[in-house]
Amino acid sequence: MTYEIGIDIGGTFTDIVCRGSDGSVRIAKVPTTRGDPSKAVLAALETARTEWGVAPSSITRFTHGTTVATNAVLERKGARIGLIATEGFKDVLEIGRQMRHQMYDLILKPETPVFLAPGRYRKEVRERLDASGNILTPLDEASVRQAIDDLQKLGVEAIAVSLVFSFLDPTHERRIRDMVPAGIPVSLSSDVDPAFREYERTCVTAFDAYIKPVVGDYLANLEAGLKQAGVTVPLQVMQSRGGLASSAIARQRPVRLFLSGPAAGVVGGLEAGKAAGFDNLITVDIGGTSCDIALITDGEPLIRAEGPIDGYTVRVPMVDVTAIGAGGGSIAWLDAAGSLKVGPHSAGSEPGPACYARGGTQPTVTDASVVLGYIDPANFAGGTVQLQPDRAHAAIRSVIAEPLGLTVEEAALGIHRVLNAQMAEAIRLVSIGRGIDPRGYALLPLGGGGPMHACALAEELGITSIVIPPHPGVLSAAGLLGAPVEHEIATAFPTPLATLDPGAMAKTLRDLDANCQKLMQAEGVTEPEIRHFADVCYIGQSYHLEVPLPGDIYAAFLQAHARVYGHATKVPAKIVNLRTVHRSKAGKIAASTTETKHPRPTTTRPIRVANGIVPAAIWHRDSFSASTKLAGPAIVEQSDTTTLVEPGWTARLTQGDSLLLERTE
Amino acid sequence: MTLDPITVEVTRHKLEGIANEMQSTLLRSSFSPIVKEGLDASAGLFTADGQTLAQACAIPIHLATLIPVLQKIIETFPPATMHPEDTFLLNDPYTGGTHLPDIALVQPIVVDGKLVAFSAAMTHHQDIGGMSAGSVPTNATEIYQEGLRLPPLKFRDAGKLNETLVAIIRQNVRIPDTVMGDINAQLAACSIGVRRITELTRKFGHDALTGLFSELLDRSEIMTRKALAKIPQGTYRYVDYLDNDGVDLDKPIRIEVAVTVGQSGIHIDFTGTSPQVRGPMNCVPSGSLAAACFAIRALTDPAIPTNAGCFRPISLHLPEGSLVNPVEPAPVNARTSTIKRITGCIVSALANILPDRIPAPSAGEMALVAFGGRRPTGENFVTGDLIASGSGASATGDGVDVIETDATNCMNLPAEAMEMETPIRLHRVALRPGSGGDGAFRGGLGTEREYEVLTDNVTFTHRGERHFSAARGIFGGGDGACGESTILRTDGTTETIPSKIVARLMKGDRVIVRTAGGAGYGDPTQRTAAMRRSDVADGKVPA
Repeated sequence: MTYEIGIDIGGTFTDIVCRGSDGSVRIAKVPTTRGDPSKAVLAALETARTEWGVAPSSITRFTHGTTVATNAVLERKGARIGLIATEGFKDVLEIGRQMRHQMYDLILKPETPVFLAPGRYRKEVRERLDASGNILTPLDEASVRQAIDDLQKLGVEAIAVSLVFSFLDPTHERRIRDMVPAGIPVSLSSDVDPAFREYERTCVTAFDAYIKPVVGDYLANLEAGLKQAGVTVPLQVMQSRGGLASSAIARQRPVRLFLSGPAAGVVGGLEAGKAAGFDNLITVDIGGTSCDIALITDGEPLIRAEGPIDGYTVRVPMVDVTAIGAGGGSIAWLDAAGSLKVGPHSAGSEPGPACYARGGTQPTVTDASVVLGYIDPANFAGGTVQLQPDRAHAAIRSVIAEPLGLTVEEAALGIHRVLNAQMAEAIRLVSIGRGIDPRGYALLPLGGGGPMHACALAEELGITSIVIPPHPGVLSAAGLLGAPVEHEIATAFPTPLATLDPGAMAKTLRDLDANCQKLMQAEGVTEPEIRHFADVCYIGQSYHLEVPLPGDIYAAFLQAHARVYGHATKVPAKIVNLRTVHRSKAGKIAASTTETKHPRPTTTRPIRVANGIVPAAIWHRDSFSASTKLAGPAIVEQSDTTTLVEPGWTARLTQGDSLLLERTE
Repeated sequence: MTLDPITVEVTRHKLEGIANEMQSTLLRSSFSPIVKEGLDASAGLFTADGQTLAQACAIPIHLATLIPVLQKIIETFPPATMHPEDTFLLNDPYTGGTHLPDIALVQPIVVDGKLVAFSAAMTHHQDIGGMSAGSVPTNATEIYQEGLRLPPLKFRDAGKLNETLVAIIRQNVRIPDTVMGDINAQLAACSIGVRRITELTRKFGHDALTGLFSELLDRSEIMTRKALAKIPQGTYRYVDYLDNDGVDLDKPIRIEVAVTVGQSGIHIDFTGTSPQVRGPMNCVPSGSLAAACFAIRALTDPAIPTNAGCFRPISLHLPEGSLVNPVEPAPVNARTSTIKRITGCIVSALANILPDRIPAPSAGEMALVAFGGRRPTGENFVTGDLIASGSGASATGDGVDVIETDATNCMNLPAEAMEMETPIRLHRVALRPGSGGDGAFRGGLGTEREYEVLTDNVTFTHRGERHFSAARGIFGGGDGACGESTILRTDGTTETIPSKIVARLMKGDRVIVRTAGGAGYGDPTQRTAAMRRSDVADGKVPA
């Protein structure tokens, strides 16, 4: 028997999913170790060995979703870096695009990541290309030596190089890299993000250099630890786009790891949705402090070209996940006019909701769920946390119900309604903003909190199908096992479609493929699936759309424009970038068809829903058989989540062992 | 009926969601770069009597611009006669608009014969005709030169498009397809508001829903008044100057405000402000209202839901015939700079009594440069750049360098984008060392951008501010540096730009724009030696 392992590090728990060659699936959670997250990974591996008899040498695949890149930024624990720029442009990193995010704040904060390289760490070199890539000023190597020398004296641990128009000709940047003494890692903008707009390119390159030593050390430590434990296969890491890379390659391009965990979750949702027969999905991951929304269209997650990291927009491709500050731990409160608000503050896991009895006195969404009877206090998180319902009642009574003149139950229902309204509007806005009508999509709730709110969200959005995967609470780890190995390389190719030379485009794509192939070969993937894309925009506009190649580029662009923007005019367009994506044939999601089930007797208890108190059937997920069809109101319990089947909905098992909730007329 | 507090809050989320969905559709389906990239468009919902219910906007200047539009529409077209498929339109600043490029569309939401609310969208159109492309001529002296004036009209009458009006608009603008495309995006945005409010009306019933609307407005008003009550009562004054009006270049323009915080709210008196000017810096009343709305949102709690309730405590005195209440046919297209400075004045008036919350004055300069001409290959080109300045220092830290402040929020243009699209090269994009006012905390720096034109006969427009009047330091802090812009000719001569200019450039000529710095806060001797060393090491202050 051999095994595949997926380990995902979350804020509170590190999840492990283990799939045997016989198809059996096991899951476990160990506490995340904040100081050194690799300890939790090794602890999870130890759990697999001792409790499930998984010998490290029998592991054939080891995949990992990591928060190390993001944490290095959040905790400002990256390297001291130097930035080398073209003469006249060293301040671009600090100036940015000059827009502010908080419109009504009077006392402003910098909008650019100046902390990456304050003024003294930014040096200029004499050189300049023009907008066609021709050399206006040759590289003055004396100025380069001076810059490197100055930076070394300042003790920099890594160097970022971003020259004007380097994406048209990387020669100067590469020469500078060659001149940096060995031992100092260098990130070139022409490697990290070869596309126009100097601030965006400089910013992502500086982030890459900043986290490179930290990510490198972490992955090296983890590799050594795994090796010592007897794991013989190479470590694979999830990248922000939803594809895996070997850790050896990942640490060369660390900036691609920012959304490692959420990307794994979306891939998990995608695989579970596909297995249940749905290609168009909205995934909603409701955790303790936030709710992550992502869209999957025609079986592919939407990818965006840039996204926020700690409030800074970083231009690196990532699954298009939108986070809002609302989750199970969100605190309910009254504002100065007595309106009920939920979030954005969260009780987190410490002290946690009032019902955890760990000192929390503020009422949270979880407390409301306890009051409403959705959560069985004796059976929360598989019985690992004993909840105290009186504390939930007391918190909601004193903070919400009494001031508003409501019963505790009415107030609890109100907390759910306000949270659901907030999340539903966010999902609607995310969908509409991408040209998608949510009514044609299925909802796929993830996280411990997702399945509790799914029916309410679906009702608000006009969605009629909900897919609940076998293990929504550990779907990120499961997604790691379903993800393909993937590498993506892009290059600038500014060309009007009217004057496009197909030969030149083919040659550029061949060059990109050759480079990508090297990466895939290093991963041991010999026959990847290869896809090409062009970023296309109307001439004079700077937002572009991705169009698949080959084919009629202009027609495909007009079609994409009409879908996303609602119209398309036949005016000239141009290519901005070309991109190649190589990926291995995907694995299979950790379905649990052969998982041992422990059916338990069905009971009933009263729960409170919008139209009053109703008796609800309480089912254990393991008790479902192929012929079970359950009508709401009902509760389905399992160790990692609780599903609320509202009146007007039914639940049954479907392909892939997912639970399918459907709206009845 | 009694209003249950949960339903009130759920409805608020829906209304804000609807406004956001309208705005998203407006931005998404517009054609022009000024909307797509400048986000110069806004959408919102209004009560049946024209009060702001929920509005999505990316630029504070839009906060109040739809308010007089709604008033004028209701005044012109009796609500009892409104049809659910009517759509009203206007742009004239002297009949409800703000400046001619801003066209507003308003659709009544009539359910079962009863008016419930209005759905409205406003877009800054790329061109509305008049004496110059883009319809913002800095040298206009009459509104007639600024473009096509549209009083309150029916764009659609019971679903039937007003073809006459469409033909007139198309005939008067330089880019008819783009303008009509953007107007259609506005129609699409309005129809979303109509559809979703109609659904809500059917769910709750007309009276219950409008009851919820007034409850929401009342709640925001209560919270705003509670927050205002924390500001010490009294009358506080501030005076500042705009450089000139673009026509009379040697005449600074005075702005004076007296802000009275009292039991009944906040009153702003503009007595002492300059009479209306010949050039286009005049600003119709909704501009000052936008400035006051921004100030009140910034001075109270940003978490308060933004609606008309927040604005109820505001009253204004705008002397007739002055810069802030001009008489027809004064030109108004450049009112943005004026609104920015008014916003700064209102906020700065309160700096002495709210020393922890209000920073020293920001430069508040958003310099506009525009280049237009013909490429060596023969086609025309037009490009522009909006350049920010430094923000003021505060009680807790230095100002931010090169950042958009107060009533605007625009992005600059990447050098690489400009060079790829037009025959212009940028030689320098840099912080401007030493431009922040000294102090215990230093003002934010301005920026320096150096452009070279690579072809002959380029028309160059420069609309600066703060060239002659610095952002003044507070509590002993120093003033921010003034803006300075120059033209370097190939023969070595230098011309200083007096804040505003239209000039002709030849191949090889360079323009250097240096924007102003924010003011300093507190006694400079209190600035620590470590901070001064960092300033020099990081290039914020010359060595």
